[in-house]
Amino acid sequence: MIPAPFDYAAPATVEEALALLAEHGDEAKVLAGGQSLLPVLRMRLNAPGMVVDISRIEGLKGITDERDSIRIGAGATYQDVLDSDLVTEHLGLLRSAVKEIADPQIRHRGTVCGALVHADPAGDVGAPVLALEGRMVVQGPDGEREVPASEFFVDLFETAVGEGELLTAVVLPKHTGWGSHYEKFVRVSHQWAIIGVAATVRAEGGTIAEARVGLTNMGATPLRASEVEQALVGLPATEEAVAQVCARAGEGTDPPSDLNGQADYRRHLAGVLTRRAVLTAAGA
Amino acid sequence: MQVDRDPQRVAAVRPPRRDQWQKLTLAARRDGTVTGLKVELLADMGAYLGLVTPGVPILGAFMYNAIYKFPAYHFTCTNVFTNKTWTDAYRGAGRPEATFAIERLMDELAAELGRDPLEVREQNWITHEEFPFTSVCGLEYDSGNYEAATARAKELFGYDELRAEQARRRESGDRVQLGIGVSTFTEMCGLAPSRVLGSLDYGAGGWESASVRMLPSGKVEVVTGASAHGQGHETAWSQIVADQLGVPFEDVEVLHGDTQVSPRGLDTYGSRSLVVGGQAVVQAAQRVVEKAKPLAAHLLEANVDDLEFSSGRFRVRGAGDDQEGIGLTDLALKVFTAHDLPDGMEPTLDADATFDPENFSFPHGTHLCAMEVDTETGQSRMRSYVSVDDVGNVVNPLIVDGQIHGGLVQGIAQALWEEAVYDDQGTLVSGSFVDYTLPTSADTISFVTDRTVSPATTNDLGAKGVGEAGAIASTPAVVNAVVDAVRPMGIHDIQMPCTPERVWRAIEDSRQGGSTPTEDSAQPHFTQDAPNQDDPGPDGPAGGTAYPQEGGRA
Repeated sequence: MIPAPFDYAAPATVEEALALLAEHGDEAKVLAGGQSLLPVLRMRLNAPGMVVDISRIEGLKGITDERDSIRIGAGATYQDVLDSDLVTEHLGLLRSAVKEIADPQIRHRGTVCGALVHADPAGDVGAPVLALEGRMVVQGPDGEREVPASEFFVDLFETAVGEGELLTAVVLPKHTGWGSHYEKFVRVSHQWAIIGVAATVRAEGGTIAEARVGLTNMGATPLRASEVEQALVGLPATEEAVAQVCARAGEGTDPPSDLNGQADYRRHLAGVLTRRAVLTAAGA
Repeated sequence: MQVDRDPQRVAAVRPPRRDQWQKLTLAARRDGTVTGLKVELLADMGAYLGLVTPGVPILGAFMYNAIYKFPAYHFTCTNVFTNKTWTDAYRGAGRPEATFAIERLMDELAAELGRDPLEVREQNWITHEEFPFTSVCGLEYDSGNYEAATARAKELFGYDELRAEQARRRESGDRVQLGIGVSTFTEMCGLAPSRVLGSLDYGAGGWESASVRMLPSGKVEVVTGASAHGQGHETAWSQIVADQLGVPFEDVEVLHGDTQVSPRGLDTYGSRSLVVGGQAVVQAAQRVVEKAKPLAAHLLEANVDDLEFSSGRFRVRGAGDDQEGIGLTDLALKVFTAHDLPDGMEPTLDADATFDPENFSFPHGTHLCAMEVDTETGQSRMRSYVSVDDVGNVVNPLIVDGQIHGGLVQGIAQALWEEAVYDDQGTLVSGSFVDYTLPTSADTISFVTDRTVSPATTNDLGAKGVGEAGAIASTPAVVNAVVDAVRPMGIHDIQMPCTPERVWRAIEDSRQGGSTPTEDSAQPHFTQDAPNQDDPGPDGPAGGTAYPQEGGRA
């Protein structure tokens, strides 16, 4: 439970952080809230020579309004998200998912961007960010680039962030007026999601005008149920109307089988929970 | 009529684990009267024998007949070594396993007969007029009142109202079904009469020791061999001594936990501390009073036989209420200075006692649990839980409540969450608290607890012990409730812990016309023939379904 020895640096700027990453190459690991990295270090699943702590970089903190979007800096904790009026007003789905993460202690430490770049398929923020069509701001030695969420998650614990790069923010288009719900299925409260369904819906007079559905832990990466989203458009927000469409949410997925559920059970749950999440999001 | 139960593998924690295959055959008349019980166990010892590893199933052997008047009883057990963590005494040690099996089976008997499970139990239990009652195992149950505990539990639970709601939900085909689980448990506590342990080849006796020392300051030191690790013995023992000697509660100091201080003792286990260790404290305190009496008589210039002791003072009987008498704490100083003692008196009031119980104590209770089962996901949620326990007289109600609440969570966790899962190679795969699904307070509800009191007759306190009650009683109550919720779907059993997936699969299998309530993967321990199986039937033994799966057959 004691990490292997490592060097530690707490740069004050993104530039300094990038210089450290360049200098130490694959020996370097980035620390933000530490809620994933520290257990990894303590269990010695990884033993980096250099830990670059970005939590003191002022420029990465904050949640800001960028006209059509909200920018969530890499230093913003889950609790910052929950406390943000911008998120509450424009990104209900993210708020709904973050509320379900672990416990208050962890939410005060862990960061949204840290979880995204850690890319645990059972993590709760990947699916909503995917469903909300977020854009990842990645900074590296050659400057800044934006990666759409749909291209960000590459595989289990693997993202488009390359060596020497830093995820500095996620930019999420405002979904003002959309109803949202994150349905997290767990056996005990402190568990990772056995599966999760992130649904956000724009309803017009009881009819679904637009819908976004993301799935947690239904594969090696967060998934988006695009076919379900399209099929929902124009349907009345009632159980009878959406049940059949939603039941297909798990089709074609390849979720894990483990102590909490075999793959077929997870696929079944995806169908049931998508229906519930969509209906709750639609206020039905 | 004969009701067969499929095997229950009981697994809880590493280390220690509970791990038994239980085959129970219950014989009953069509009117519901039980006539016999046959228990065949296959008990996993693990790779080594721990302190009482083989003793766990033996202790359980006395408890399968529980509170019921079985005229005939047969018990056999085969202990096997495996390459897993050893099993050992784990809160209840054999009694939870036995209680789980019989209480599940009584629910199945009621279901087979189409009757209320409480009614069938009442038909078969020992009535309060029948105490003391010698069980079919030869144990003498000294006291109890199952009727009183059950009546109180039903009232607190709103039993009839919940049954009515259950009927409505069944009628309407509600997605969330309601199940009601019953557990009218008893246990043998106050371990243990040394002679009984000797007859079982146990390596130690069952007595407990105490010393009570009167300090010249008037304060009292109590040494106990029943060393607490958080159960609150310091508080309860101080209460006992304060009552016995009439000294202030805060003037009593309880010493334990260091063999330099308390070299003699058999410690805390088997809900024995108050029943055996507490009684030793009572007896030591009584001896202090007896030792002080001649000195009091000497100083009061009275006859020893004319003295009475109450509220910490000796007074001359019949000499009026305004007499001052002499206090025990004053005598403690007099004895210390030893300036003026009766001829031949040894200058000390300190006393030791070692108490060896002549019988066990028999706490009991009625636990009722309501579970809501989401038939789409298999997820079970506890709606309400009522426990009415009869642990005899209570020294400290807060401590007793704490023991009950903690025990309930432990037993409920076994029913719903915790499991030591091993793969085919005997490697533990639920090796973290996340995989083991250890619950926290966020996962439990507020329990309703109450007590009835029928004092134990085998110790002066009238106490029966409470350390294991909640953990023993709650597991079958919860599993019974989950099964009850889905019983109309033709489901007779769900392997515990009743995970959402297991419940869902039971429902799915039932919908597809099958009846395999326990999937093979839930029983990774035994994939070969069960060696204590003398009548495997046409289909077994094989895999995890070695025994008949029907809930009952006439």
